[in-house]
Amino acid sequence: MSLAWLLRRLLLMAYTMLVVSVLVFAITQVLPADAAVTLLGQNATPAALAALRQKLGLSDPVWLQFWHWFWALLHGNLGTSMRTGLPVGPTMFTALSRSLLIAACSILLMLVVAVPLGVLAALRRGRALDLFAGLVSYLGISLPEFVTATFVLVVLADHLGWLPATGYVPITKHFVDGVRHLIAPVLTVSLVLIAHVARMMRSETIDVLASDYVRAAELKGLARRTVLLRHVLRNALLPVVTVVALDVGYLLGGIIVVEEIFAIPGIGRELLIAIQNRDLPSIQAGALIMAGTYAVANLLADIAYALLDPRLRYD
Amino acid sequence: MTALLDIAHLTLDYATGHGVFRALEDVSLSVAPGEVLGLVGESGSGKTSLAMAVMGHLAGNARLAGGSVRLGGAELTALGPAAMRAIRGKRIGMVFQNPATSLNPTLTLGRQITEVLERHRGLSPRAAWREAVSWLERVELRHAEALMRRYPHEVSGGEKQRVVIATAFAPHPDIVLFDEPTTALDVITGARILDLFHRLRAETGVAGLYISHDLGLVARVAERVAVMRGGWVVETGPATRIFTNPAHDYTRRLVDAVPRPHRRLVQDEPPPHEVLRAEALGVRYGRQRLFRKRAEGGGIASVSFDIREGEILGVVGESGSGKSTIARALTGLVRAGGVIRLDGMPVTRMRRDYRRAVQIVFQHPASSLNPRQRVRDILARPLRLYGGSLDEIPTLLRQVNLPPEYASRWPHQLSGGEKQRVAIARAFAARPRLVICDEITASLDVSVQASTIELLLELRRRHGTAYLFITHDLNLIRQIAHRLIVMRDGTLVDRLEIQALGSGNEHEYTRELIAASPPPVGEETRT
Repeated sequence: MSLAWLLRRLLLMAYTMLVVSVLVFAITQVLPADAAVTLLGQNATPAALAALRQKLGLSDPVWLQFWHWFWALLHGNLGTSMRTGLPVGPTMFTALSRSLLIAACSILLMLVVAVPLGVLAALRRGRALDLFAGLVSYLGISLPEFVTATFVLVVLADHLGWLPATGYVPITKHFVDGVRHLIAPVLTVSLVLIAHVARMMRSETIDVLASDYVRAAELKGLARRTVLLRHVLRNALLPVVTVVALDVGYLLGGIIVVEEIFAIPGIGRELLIAIQNRDLPSIQAGALIMAGTYAVANLLADIAYALLDPRLRYD
Repeated sequence: MTALLDIAHLTLDYATGHGVFRALEDVSLSVAPGEVLGLVGESGSGKTSLAMAVMGHLAGNARLAGGSVRLGGAELTALGPAAMRAIRGKRIGMVFQNPATSLNPTLTLGRQITEVLERHRGLSPRAAWREAVSWLERVELRHAEALMRRYPHEVSGGEKQRVVIATAFAPHPDIVLFDEPTTALDVITGARILDLFHRLRAETGVAGLYISHDLGLVARVAERVAVMRGGWVVETGPATRIFTNPAHDYTRRLVDAVPRPHRRLVQDEPPPHEVLRAEALGVRYGRQRLFRKRAEGGGIASVSFDIREGEILGVVGESGSGKSTIARALTGLVRAGGVIRLDGMPVTRMRRDYRRAVQIVFQHPASSLNPRQRVRDILARPLRLYGGSLDEIPTLLRQVNLPPEYASRWPHQLSGGEKQRVAIARAFAARPRLVICDEITASLDVSVQASTIELLLELRRRHGTAYLFITHDLNLIRQIAHRLIVMRDGTLVDRLEIQALGSGNEHEYTRELIAASPPPVGEETRT
């Protein structure tokens, strides 16, 4: 991995974001939402509406509107919310930080659970643990989040009373309480991830176990543990890294549902509220931020892949 | 003579879906200290199963039905997994067939040696590193320190195999198992690996069990040879005796199948009429990328040759030298610069009459036959395209010595040799003037290879077909070719009559190739 590659990759990412911003702007233009009506209400006089449109630049040609919006964007100004009158940027990024916390915890939990589970299932192929892991995986993949979320709520919050049902407390404010509020959403989100990655990890491990170099490692008389940790694990992890990056795409979608159910003021929920209120600047900012997150996740995955696999030398 | 490795009455079964399959039946072999025993057999003969049984590394469905494996008097079959791990690598080293796949791609070469030294000789990481460097030097690798930090994909196949050999010898084993260590390598690289094998043997006095399908090769490296077939040891004896005076019928057939460069199988001279001429043929492989164009190996530059009516033109060279690229260019599978002439007329586009005249048979019959088509459909395609009649199918099959009933079979119901016969029948269905044979015997067992060659020569006698015969087997090509072209790094370095071989006028590289494939042992005594 060279610096030139990294720079080129960043350039490509900037280009991606440019295309995304055009698309986002175009889509919001097609939406049946008139910002002036949204702001003044259904009963406003036509004259007042026209005056406001003039003021907001809505009567300008579309390309000029895009240019104004894009120019502000480049200066870090995502616009002002039509609903609250507050700048969109800070609101959205605060919301994003909450969502990212849940996403990061979920990915961490997934790695801790799914990787060993997949490896163990591969080693005990066809036996009880493998069958159990397979069952859990299929359940996790096939159940939609609102079902698992409800299940988690009913059992952990309602039935056992271990956790608060919904809501969000920043961990910076009250750590223990904050963590308690995180558990249910993280469990819900990570179940699908665990299911997906454990399956993947299992099949990759089975492939690697059957490879010539693992047989060679066995025949060199290395300890079983050394063979597994040094020779099997790393090679089996490689394809999984790419899958995790793709799963970030799922996370962004799945998290909207989960945030709604657990009443967490994250980016998904903000976006939902923005859409319900036809708050165009917020919709644009939300969509852009989500696309950006995805692009960054992919870049991180590529870098991780390059670090794990010496055969890949980006140049 | 007290045996170092003593295998007695070993019987091994595999439980399969179709019942019990016996892989080894009452196998008894012994290797004395410092001795090299050659183990020869075709695929499915049980030679790999035997090696794995010695290593105590058997598949989950394998069951030892009887017998014993003793190393220095101690029984190995009774050992538990942990005790066996202390024997593997430490007292029995192993060199594998394919160095490209037997090294872990994500670990440095150095790590893959030091891990063995740390485990079996209890060295500290630093001492293991120093010892590994000295072993890399002993296997004649230059820049050993730098190699330690390299990854497998950064070095050549020969270098990889030297690292594997160093790993096998470094823990001072009593015996090393060699499982076809040169099969996956080029002729010249393989010959150098064999030199190394001889030198290390002389230096260390380590005993060896040398497994190969190549009887000619084994006779050169081993003192004694055991011949296996269908899980049985057919015959054991001194290498030269086995080769010059085989006792068993099967051994005799194996010996006869070994290509002997001085026993010509083709006597006639082709008429001077030229079928095909390639002028300044050039192919550049490259991949258009977003930011730059990247050149890739395997291309050819300015290659010119001609083939006469009914002539066999041999194409030899190491892998990556561009041999197969010539085949791809002539068949239009890649776009090539230069001019191809058929009967003197330039072929501007791959027209139907050209495609009909020039047919190809590929190396791997398993992947060049469509698995979803019956033999009948496979043969019907060229017949329809080139105006033949479907009634010819039985004749075509008989021509390649297959029963006409095979028309209704699927490819997976055929053996490797039978599949290759179908591929040959497919090529001949178009009544070609020239058939390109791209390493067509490389994936076949020796005896099957011999009968396939016999078939090709018979077809040539009958139809007067010319062959462009691409191979890495010099002994084989010297038996059949009229002329030879030698490829190296995408250029044609030598073009010569087969009789001119040994006259001293060859290119230096051609001489090197010939030296790397010596005639089989006993060649001089048998005429």
